[in-house]
Amino acid sequence: MRPRVILILVACVAVAVSAPWIGGALEGESGEFILQSLRIPRVIMACLVGATLSLVGACYQTILANPLAAPSTVGTTAGATLGALVAVLAGSALGGMPGGMPIVAVFAFVAALGVSLFVAALAGSGRARVNDVLLAGVAISLAAGAVSAGLQFSADELQLYAAIQWSLGHLPQVGYRGVLMIAPFVAITGGVLLSQTRALQSLAAGEERAHSQGVNVARVRSLVLGVGALGVAACVAWCGPIAFVGLIVPHIVRLSVGSSRRILLPMSAVMGAAFLVACDTAARNVLPGRELPVGVLTAGIGAPLLVWLVARRK
Amino acid sequence: MAAELSFNRVGVEISGKRLLQDVSLRVSEGEFVALLGPNGAGKTTLFRAALGLLRASGEVLLNGRPARQVGGRERAGILAWLPQQALVTEALSVLDLVAGARFRFSESRRNAESAARDALRQAGAEVFADRIVSTLSGGEQQRVAVAALLAQEAPLLLLDEPANHLDPAHQVSLYRLFGELWRAGRGVLCISHDVNLLSHVGDAAAVRVVGLAQGQVRFETSYTDADLPGKLGEIFGIHFESVQAGSRRVLLPGAGV
Repeated sequence: MRPRVILILVACVAVAVSAPWIGGALEGESGEFILQSLRIPRVIMACLVGATLSLVGACYQTILANPLAAPSTVGTTAGATLGALVAVLAGSALGGMPGGMPIVAVFAFVAALGVSLFVAALAGSGRARVNDVLLAGVAISLAAGAVSAGLQFSADELQLYAAIQWSLGHLPQVGYRGVLMIAPFVAITGGVLLSQTRALQSLAAGEERAHSQGVNVARVRSLVLGVGALGVAACVAWCGPIAFVGLIVPHIVRLSVGSSRRILLPMSAVMGAAFLVACDTAARNVLPGRELPVGVLTAGIGAPLLVWLVARRK
Repeated sequence: MAAELSFNRVGVEISGKRLLQDVSLRVSEGEFVALLGPNGAGKTTLFRAALGLLRASGEVLLNGRPARQVGGRERAGILAWLPQQALVTEALSVLDLVAGARFRFSESRRNAESAARDALRQAGAEVFADRIVSTLSGGEQQRVAVAALLAQEAPLLLLDEPANHLDPAHQVSLYRLFGELWRAGRGVLCISHDVNLLSHVGDAAAVRVVGLAQGQVRFETSYTDADLPGKLGEIFGIHFESVQAGSRRVLLPGAGV
């Protein structure tokens, strides 16, 4: 393994391991509670969400042959936002969900998955070209956004505030419930996507070349979109849409260790995890007495970092 | 059973425009077929029909079975394609790109990379193994693309203007390599705009030349046919003059008819 890859791996592990101890002093019983029940589960959650968003982003950029592709490109985020808004508006009438699941998470998950699977089905039809899939994703995102705007118009102030708060992305939680809820989806998504590494490597050389080399392009595209949407929908449903991780981190990885999918895909997951942990740690410490929404920092840190890497590229 | 690709009365129509019409053609292992014709004759379209990249009427058969019923990996084990288009612009290494062409094999990464290095050596491109594809010149990229073609280890090769972007020395060495592959038993269907390069594959009398124009096969003959210049003149609309250069016959495109 190349020294640079090892160095980055070590740095990412160091970020994740040290993050729970960064912040206010941990003393006595309350310190123990903060560490065990707040910070550690929050770091684990950030690792799962960051790894999923980034891995899915790297895979979407390959199958859609577009450097601007991200989980939001195929409507996942817009669908989740629409679902969450419906839940916020209907929340009081619906009451609790079976199993004590938060209504917002359930609605966001179902809507995100529904919208994304529609695009995945289109991609798997065989006739759809890559640009058709991108256009369908963008069109569905716009349609879902328009419906969401219409719903916000009819919401009262409290409902609107809850919707906006959700849409900024958040990781705070108590205990491991959220981690346990999304872990199976993250595991399935990660396992299936990494199993497609060889097909994605072939696809990186072009869709028609990959087809001639034996890759069933329509099937791989549909599988990656569908399974990617599963993991992203679970993450977004629980944490809200966290901007830019799925778009920026794969580019940072590519500029750091190259484009071989054998390295790019697992390293996107690792660096995505470390990146979100670092942003979340900064989000809870940067302002005294209050937290910034983590989505503000992912874009605020990630975008300049990407610009810097592009600028120094030879 | 020898691998075989055959087209029976194949037609392709896109957006109301007929690109191929009643094309019948066959190439098997151990055969070298050169496909000649003017721009827009339908040569590349025929390759795309063979690969299932577009829908065609008539029959496209791979080893006697309709190509549409042949799975992707199985097809890749019969046909390998060298497209006209340039390679990727993404920052992929040459070794990764060539190893990626071995998708049809279930093998370890070590095996794939070892086979990729062999293919690069065969294509005279082993010095580029650790380079990024997009940093290579057009000619160097074409040699890497040939290595990817060889790495697939398919018995039938579809070559779409393989000498594109190459200097004369590399054009000749590439056609000699295709000649060696042909003599080793591969079947070759080769689109070429330079009919004289075909003389470098060896055993010119055994090379079949198929002339395609306006989506139809206009003639099929041997490369040594004395009337080949006249037949080429008809499909290209230009006079070809035959000149003897040592043991080789050279066809010179001359004044317009």
